[in-house]
Amino acid sequence: MEILGLAIVIVLIFVAIIFVVRLGFEKPSNIRASFVSSQLASNMLNAFLRTSARDDCFQLTMTELLQDCAQGKAIKCNNGDDSCKYANSTAKEIFEKTFDKWNTNYEFLAYTDIARPLIGLGETCKADKKSELFPIPISSQTMYVKLDVCG
Amino acid sequence: MFSKSQIQIGETVAVLFVFFILIIIGFIFYVKVIKSNLEVEKDEISQIRSISIAQRVMFLPELQCSDDIVKEVSDCIDRLKIHAAQDIMKENEIYYYDLFGFSEVTIAQIYPENKKWAVYSRKTEDFKNKFVTNVPVSIYHPMTRKYGFGVLTIETLS
Repeated sequence: MEILGLAIVIVLIFVAIIFVVRLGFEKPSNIRASFVSSQLASNMLNAFLRTSARDDCFQLTMTELLQDCAQGKAIKCNNGDDSCKYANSTAKEIFEKTFDKWNTNYEFLAYTDIARPLIGLGETCKADKKSELFPIPISSQTMYVKLDVCG
Repeated sequence: MFSKSQIQIGETVAVLFVFFILIIIGFIFYVKVIKSNLEVEKDEISQIRSISIAQRVMFLPELQCSDDIVKEVSDCIDRLKIHAAQDIMKENEIYYYDLFGFSEVTIAQIYPENKKWAVYSRKTEDFKNKFVTNVPVSIYHPMTRKYGFGVLTIETLS
């Protein structure tokens, strides 16, 4: 009879320990990381599309260069690059100084047809990502600029 | 030889001893859980504080670009305002300390050319957490009406 009492006490202690371990310890939250990555994608695209090119490409904005890139590459910059190449090298330079420096993986795409992107940088995110899509009007259709920030 | 009643008293004392040991172990465990939860909450408060400071800096009228003086442009910093803001922040240290606490705010232009400005800096040696928030922004040159690409870095200590 006493043994039975002891067994019940031990079982109760085990149940209490399991309960406390599962519910008691709060997981460390990461509110900041989630805020930062969601802000990062939209701010990065916003700022990138607004950026003016250097003097060697008539200080056109990246939006204007991407529009031309999707519409037949009429613009030739003074350094010999067409609009697609110039926008691509600018994006690469900016992302190297930001995402690569912060060890953040990303995928940047500019396209009218997603199967054949005009510009593609970075790598497809394997797990979680924060995505931002900007439509840009062009004469015949709409082109899209998409940035996925992984993590 | 011990009498029967003495043995029973011994048993009771042993049971009470084990009982109190269990209570002490339970209490220590409970205190540890509470302490760990408090640390998590403290960390969460620091994170929220760092976010709110970052938000304040991002929407600071002293730095933000304005369109036709009235409409403020988001994610954009007016290059001409930076120097004025640096002076104002030095002159009104207490006011800005209330807004940003112990933190460091820097703006770096990375395209078309590299430039860096330290806007606010108030540091302490006594901190447990350090959060660095990088916010990509446009840097507007009102004289040329062109936009550069920059990064607003907010380092908060708590």
